Order: sequence, then C-alpha cells, then structure tokens
Amino acid sequence: MSLFAEKGKKSLLDLIGSGRNLDAYVVGVVFLEEGLLAAALVDGRVAFINSESTSPASFVSAHDGTCLSLAGDPGGQRVLTGGDDGRLVSTDTDGETTEIAAISGRWVEPIAVSRASGLCAAAFGKTVSLFARDGSAVGRFEHANTVSGLAFDPKGRRIAAAHYGGASLWWAKLGTQEPKRLTWAGSHLDLTWSPDGKYIVTAMQENELHGWRVADSVDMRMAGYPKKVKSMSWLPKGRYLATGGADSVICWPFHGKSGPMGKAPLDLGWGFEGVVTAVAAHPRHDVIAAGYKDGTTILVQIEREDPLLVKRPGEGAVTALGWSADGQHLALGTESGLVGRLKLSDWRTSSGA
Amino acid sequence: MDLIPVTVLTGCLGASKTTLLNRILTEERDRKYDVVVNEFGEIGIDNDFVVNADEEEFEMNNDCICCTVRGDLIRFLGSLMKRQGGFDGIPIETTGLADPAPVARNFLVDEDVRGRTRLGSIMTVVDACHVIQRLEDSHETLEEVAFVDIIRLDKTDLVSADELARKKSCIRSINATAVIRRTHRCEVGLDTVLERRAFDLDRIPAIEPDFGAEDDHEHDDAVKSVFLRADRPLDGNRPTKRLQRLFVERGQDLLRTTGVLSFPGHEKQYVVQAVHMLLAGNFTKSGSPDENRERRLSFIGRNIDELDLRQQYKACVA
Repeated sequence: MSLFAEKGKKSLLDLIGSGRNLDAYVVGVVFLEEGLLAAALVDGRVAFINSESTSPASFVSAHDGTCLSLAGDPGGQRVLTGGDDGRLVSTDTDGETTEIAAISGRWVEPIAVSRASGLCAAAFGKTVSLFARDGSAVGRFEHANTVSGLAFDPKGRRIAAAHYGGASLWWAKLGTQEPKRLTWAGSHLDLTWSPDGKYIVTAMQENELHGWRVADSVDMRMAGYPKKVKSMSWLPKGRYLATGGADSVICWPFHGKSGPMGKAPLDLGWGFEGVVTAVAAHPRHDVIAAGYKDGTTILVQIEREDPLLVKRPGEGAVTALGWSADGQHLALGTESGLVGRLKLSDWRTSSGA
Repeated sequence: MDLIPVTVLTGCLGASKTTLLNRILTEERDRKYDVVVNEFGEIGIDNDFVVNADEEEFEMNNDCICCTVRGDLIRFLGSLMKRQGGFDGIPIETTGLADPAPVARNFLVDEDVRGRTRLGSIMTVVDACHVIQRLEDSHETLEEVAFVDIIRLDKTDLVSADELARKKSCIRSINATAVIRRTHRCEVGLDTVLERRAFDLDRIPAIEPDFGAEDDHEHDDAVKSVFLRADRPLDGNRPTKRLQRLFVERGQDLLRTTGVLSFPGHEKQYVVQAVHMLLAGNFTKSGSPDENRERRLSFIGRNIDELDLRQQYKACVA
C-alpha cells in the first residue's frame, strides 16, 4: 500500500538518523533541553544520548530493579523515573540522581508532569503523591485500588488517576477533599486528559477506550480494538486522539461539540504488519509517529494517504516514541533495546514528503 | 518464543506450601525463578526474586459476573516479561483463602500474559492428617481440591496406609483427574513441580481417572468429576453449540473443564479449557491416526448432572 513498505527501502532513520542498541527494553524516551535525549531502560538505567551520531551514550543507574516509567521534568533539565524498588528518582543531565520519594514494597508506575504548574505526580500503588519542582511533597491522595494511569489538566491544577472502576479527579492544592469520581465498570489501565481540558479518556483491560466529558461526566465508549490500547496521544489543540491497539492508527475526532460520539474514527497507516504499539503526535502539526509490533515506525498525516517510513521492521516492538518540544527531533525505543533519533528540521508537513 | 511456565501454589495456611517455596528458591540456585507471594513475612528467605502481590481481584467488564481476574498478577507478569534473559519459571503463591479461578483466568483472558507465559500447573498442598476434616468444614479447601491439577499430600508418614488410601479415594471422588502425590516435607522433584504442563493448551494430561475408587463420602457442595469419552469423531456443529449453552447455563457450577475433541475433516485436534464460564479452545494438538485419537472431556463442578452430560456428549458424536 505504502510506497515505503517495500522491502529494502531505506528509512529516515537510515538516511538522516542514528540508532544504537542499549541491551534492554526501552521503557520511555524524552527530549530534554538542547536536543539531549534521555531513555529509561527496564534494567534500571537511564541513558543520555546527544545529537552527535558518533558520541557514545552515557548511563546512570537510577533503580535497583526494574524501571517502570519515565517522564521529563517540566524544567527540561532532568528526568523522573519510577521503579519496582518503590522509588521515584530524579536524574539530571550531569548524571546526578536524587531520590524524591520511596515507599518500600510498592511499585512506582505512572508519573505525570505539568509544564504549566511545575508539579509532578506519581502513583505508589494506591497512593498518588504530588511534588513541587524542588522535590517537596505537596499532596497525597489515597485510592481503593492500584492507580495505573495519571494525567494533569492543561493548567496543572487538577490530577486525574485511573484505577479499577473508573477515575478520580483531585485538586492539586486543596487539602482534605472528596475527589470527583468518574465511574465505569472494569479495569482502567491508562489515562489522558485532552489539551483543552474538556475530556478524560482511559484505556481499558477490555480492548477499548472509555471517555468522559469532564463538565458533566457524560460517558463515551470507544470500542472495536483487536488488542489492548497501550498508547494514546493528542494531536495539536486536541483535535484528534491518536491510539494504538489496532493494525492501523486509530484517531478519534474530538473537535466537535460531543467529542467522538456518533462519528467514525480516522484510520491511518494501513498496510504494515501487526498491531500499533506506540503513537506520538507532533507537537505542532497534524502528524503522528506510529510504531508497530514488528518494529516498523512511520509518520502519517491526518487525511493523507502515504506514510513516511521512519524505521524498517526489526529489533522488536516499538515501545516508546517521543518528540522534542519544538517538534524537530523524533526518538524511538524498542523491546530489544534499540534507541533511534532523527532530526526533521527541514521537513515540513506541506512539502508533500 | 518459549512461554515461561507459571506454577500456582495454593493451599490452606499452615500447610507446607511455604516449605515447598523455600525449597524451590534455595535448592535451585542455578535456575532463575521469580516468585510472587502475598506477604513478604510468610517466607523467611532473601527476597531478591520475591514480589509481593496485592490480590486485587477485578471483574471483567464483559457481562459475565463470575469472570474475575487478578489485576495485580496481570500487572506483575506484564512487567516481568519486559526483562531480558528470561526466567525458568514463575511460582505464584496464593493465600489459602484466595480463589485460584481468577489466577487461572488471567492466562485465558489477558493477551500479554497469554503471549509470554503459560499456566504450567495449579497445585495444592494438603495435610494428609487433616484433609478429610478440612474438606468437610472448609469450602475453600473443597474448591481448591476440585480445581487443581496436582494435589500434594504432605505429612503422609503420620497416617497409616489404610487411612491414606481412604483419604486418596475421598479426594478422587471430588477430582478424578488430578495427580495425587504423597510427599514428606514436600520432598519432590522440583522439575516435575515447575515444568509440568498440566494446564497447557497443547497437552491435556492423558490421565485415566480412578473410577474404581470407592466413593463413600458425600459432601454438602457435592463437587465431583465427570469424565466422558467417545470412540468416534464429533459432529462439527453440535458440540460448539451444546458447550456454549452448557457454559452459559451452568458456568457458575463448573469449576474446571478440560478436553480434547476431534472433528471430521480436521487434522488437528481441538483442545478446550474452561474456568467457570470462560471458555478457550484451539485446534492445537497435532493429529494422530484417526483410530487412536483421544476424544475426551472432563468436568469438575458442583451439582453436575452426569447422566445429562453423557447424553449430550453422545448426541454430539457424528
């Protein structure tokens, strides 16, 4: 289908990027300031990779055990990681690690950060803790079940936590409070808050998404996925929500008054093998990077036919994708430990590439 | 990709489960195991490879009220599978009060768990001295014995041979297909414990149920086994419909169902596994010459109408 799906065709990574294998499942990738890339590896290491393709990666051991999650600090100078050693750790670009908090015996999985408020939230099992930029604890919210997804609202004033039975919404700076409960039967594994603040969407154990309109808690069910949705990403201004979980990129339209209800999703990036395992929308344009189970990575545009091949199949499923804040750099990580990065400065959505 | 075998150890508190876990971890140092337990305090060994499970039981949102899974184990197994180098096995210990069904269901329901691990066996350790008493006074023990693939009778040195035979036959009346092994302080070949593919979709154990055993114990819950066989292949459409109806109507009472079926025109045999009403089936088992094919179904459950099941099964033969 795609011009670029042919065997032997060179990918963008081959032509203008660089890749290296770091020997462990890549949990996440995030760009820091000046194009420095940080990758969290499942064996507890954080790798820093600069934009020179020849310089080696530097490693920092952040966790004694499995690293479960990664987020870039709002300031862009350090990364936050959670591990099964019960620790939330900050690693700065000089390789200095600081333990922000630890609860022995718990897993620290979802982490959320807010550029707007500078706050960071992490779930220690059933407890969600909030931290200010200096690492001081500023809030603590308890849940009946393990929290497996976290997201701030656009202003960073509220935090939403996904768990069994739905989601809980807390005011970050309010002391004692009852959370707003969004309920829907089943196990909610991941959560995202739309950039306009109007919608919350969770990915469920049952191969579907569930959404709520925050203002009136109206339910939205987005079903039909053959697999679990493990990756969701909002396009600029929240016009679409791009998702994995199918053999193409499923994009739900959120620009109408009632969100995606009664509308068919867009279906992009056909013709590749297997299921989409990771998606990341460009921060400025209607462009989505999507990675597949076989390692193929593409760039697709909303309402355009031909995708661009970013990476050929191989090296295991794509597990992580990330753009720099200016949208010039793209990074990817895979199951077998490949971390690739490329600079797309000359590339324009209008160039017809 | 090799699927990592998971062994579920269940059993009442006070039985010798902990002894068995300790032996796995201390005597098999050359092999890599990751162990899931319920409380750190319960086993007194270094806990590098021990993960504390939270026993979070979740209902699936699929209109099936009895369809619960263990969310904590799905999460744990999912994360474990990201690590390279692999593991030789994952023993999961559940508390005596935990229902083994949601644990087993994880392996039928969750695609990530299913794709990387296989349920090797569900095993319980029961104390030979007190087993009859436990079966009479504890609903959990009864369910457990009915549900598992391997029953380890421990402390058999403390009971006479006659008594042991009586106890075995009592267990047989509840679960006709499980393997019963006697042990002393859980001294058993650990390989056989951890590698046994009792619950594997490819290899249903060809165990002849011990129907000769006398059945002098009737239990309140009347949990028993029914074992069906057919000499001829089954009609392509009939079993599926009948099975579906059976599981919809009687799923609550059916604890475990396993079977190997064959259909005319299909080279491979159809292997079915069910936990309550959740049924998974596949054409997986390589075909043997038609005349030697196994065609059997075993049901373990409560209030089973054996005659009805036999008639239904007979009606499915082509």
